[in-house]
Amino acid sequence: MVKVRKGNKPPPDGWDLIEPTLDEIEAKMREAELAPHDGKRKVETLWPIFKIHHQKSRYLYDLYYKRKTISKELYDFCIKQSIGDKNLIAQWKKQGYENLCCLRCIQPRDTNFNKKCICRVPKEKLEEGKVVECVHCGCRGCSG
Amino acid sequence: MSISLLSNTYNRQNWEDAEFPILCQTCLGDNPYIRMMKERYGQECKICNRPFTIFRWCPGARMRFKKTEICQTCSKVKNVCQTCLLDLEFGLPVQVRDEALQITDSIPKGQVNKEYFTQNAEAEMALEQQPQPYGQLAKAQPPSDVLMKLARSAPYYKRNQPHICSFYVKGECKRGEECPYRHEKPTDPDDPLSNQNIRDRFYGVNDPVAEKLLSRYKETPQLETPEDKSVTTLYIGNVIDLDEQQLRDHFYQYGEIRSVTVVPKQSCAFVQFTQRDAAERAAKETFNKLVIDGKRLTVKWGKPPAIQAGGGRLGDASGFESNYEPVPGLPTIVPMPSTELKADFFGLSSSSTPNVVASTAASSFLPPPPMPPPDLGDYTSSLSYGHMPPPLSSLRTTSVHYPSQDPSRVGSTAAHGKANE
Repeated sequence: MVKVRKGNKPPPDGWDLIEPTLDEIEAKMREAELAPHDGKRKVETLWPIFKIHHQKSRYLYDLYYKRKTISKELYDFCIKQSIGDKNLIAQWKKQGYENLCCLRCIQPRDTNFNKKCICRVPKEKLEEGKVVECVHCGCRGCSG
Repeated sequence: MSISLLSNTYNRQNWEDAEFPILCQTCLGDNPYIRMMKERYGQECKICNRPFTIFRWCPGARMRFKKTEICQTCSKVKNVCQTCLLDLEFGLPVQVRDEALQITDSIPKGQVNKEYFTQNAEAEMALEQQPQPYGQLAKAQPPSDVLMKLARSAPYYKRNQPHICSFYVKGECKRGEECPYRHEKPTDPDDPLSNQNIRDRFYGVNDPVAEKLLSRYKETPQLETPEDKSVTTLYIGNVIDLDEQQLRDHFYQYGEIRSVTVVPKQSCAFVQFTQRDAAERAAKETFNKLVIDGKRLTVKWGKPPAIQAGGGRLGDASGFESNYEPVPGLPTIVPMPSTELKADFFGLSSSSTPNVVASTAASSFLPPPPMPPPDLGDYTSSLSYGHMPPPLSSLRTTSVHYPSQDPSRVGSTAAHGKANE
């Protein structure tokens, strides 16, 4: 099924260079969506979705903000097409949130005591040797 | 039978709402900073099946989250912790506590009776200004030594551990390091302790943990009384850094002490009473219970000839303690009448026996009061002072049988006054 495009303008110039990578990532996402749930915990079934979503947005963020290899036009086009998550990338621009795993983990309303997720605690502050896989996205620590 | 949240609360079995849970120290855990979640009407009480306010908290690092299992009414009825259902004072199962204190409150267990009971209990408790323990627990009781001995002294946090990982037991645990459940061998299913039921534990019926505790208590060694009736000496062991004065201070309550000897080399002491029954009383009350100055002392009966000689020898060395002559004229042990006379209380079988029995009794009773009757007679008959000297002179000639009779000794203990000093 061909991917739908929002708006009727054709994609800007650098699109052909990034399209193959984006296609791969999208194919991975489709696989993850269709994966069977056997042997996994209920929450664990969603973790690959969050991971691939992060990956896609990361690719876009890297290209534009870090390596600066694509134009603002192309970047805005991708954001508009929902290839990268605008809100997640906005968080990555903040200090301390550069490696944020997903937006659920910083939502205080999702927790019992209105705190952030355990994966946001830096490894130094967490007691020795404790392995955490956060329940929202399976992240093992995304701060620091 | 489940009920809905009613607006009419009069004479109805209501859902329970509470401000703060009733918990024991172990359940709360070691961390003084606890974050507790409150959920109104979050679960049904495991005993009375009414929705009640549950409290949920983490009792420490690497512990499972605990929550209140029974409602406050049920926990107040039995005076137990809301989560672990152990007594709040002693931390013991209900069955143990009830057996030790002989509490026989019978709480209905059947469906309708139970609902009726909790409904009334809750209404009563709501009326009380000061919370009272329910039923027979409210009676003022002497501290039960059974319970004191069985109770734990420190909180037992192993109860708060996470449950065994059932995937690990099957060999399938994929979480590995981050698995919060315990990766250990599960307990033996044949073990009677693994068939525990919350209802049984609450009502104090058929509780394997309670039975184990009680049988363990019964097997502790008991004190036997020696057959030799003249032994009035107790051997006290584990006497380290204790002096004679402390032992005296403790043992004088059971009766007059004849002598106390401390043997530091063997970290033991011998306490000799004047009366046999005083010694027996002391033994009974202190056996396995005596703690002086933080040290638990072992109490046993002394062996007759050895310690008396040893006590005498060491006593002379210390300069004051000495054996006293036995008091003359105390009633001797009356020999048991022969077998055919045992049931013959009125002397109906033969006429000669009453005289025999009466004469022995008379003879044994005669010696002790030689002085009092004449003295009384003197005082009442005449008021002249001439009659004073005879009693005093007669007192001076009395031999010393007890330390208190020693005229040169001033004060209740040897420390206060010594002969010739």
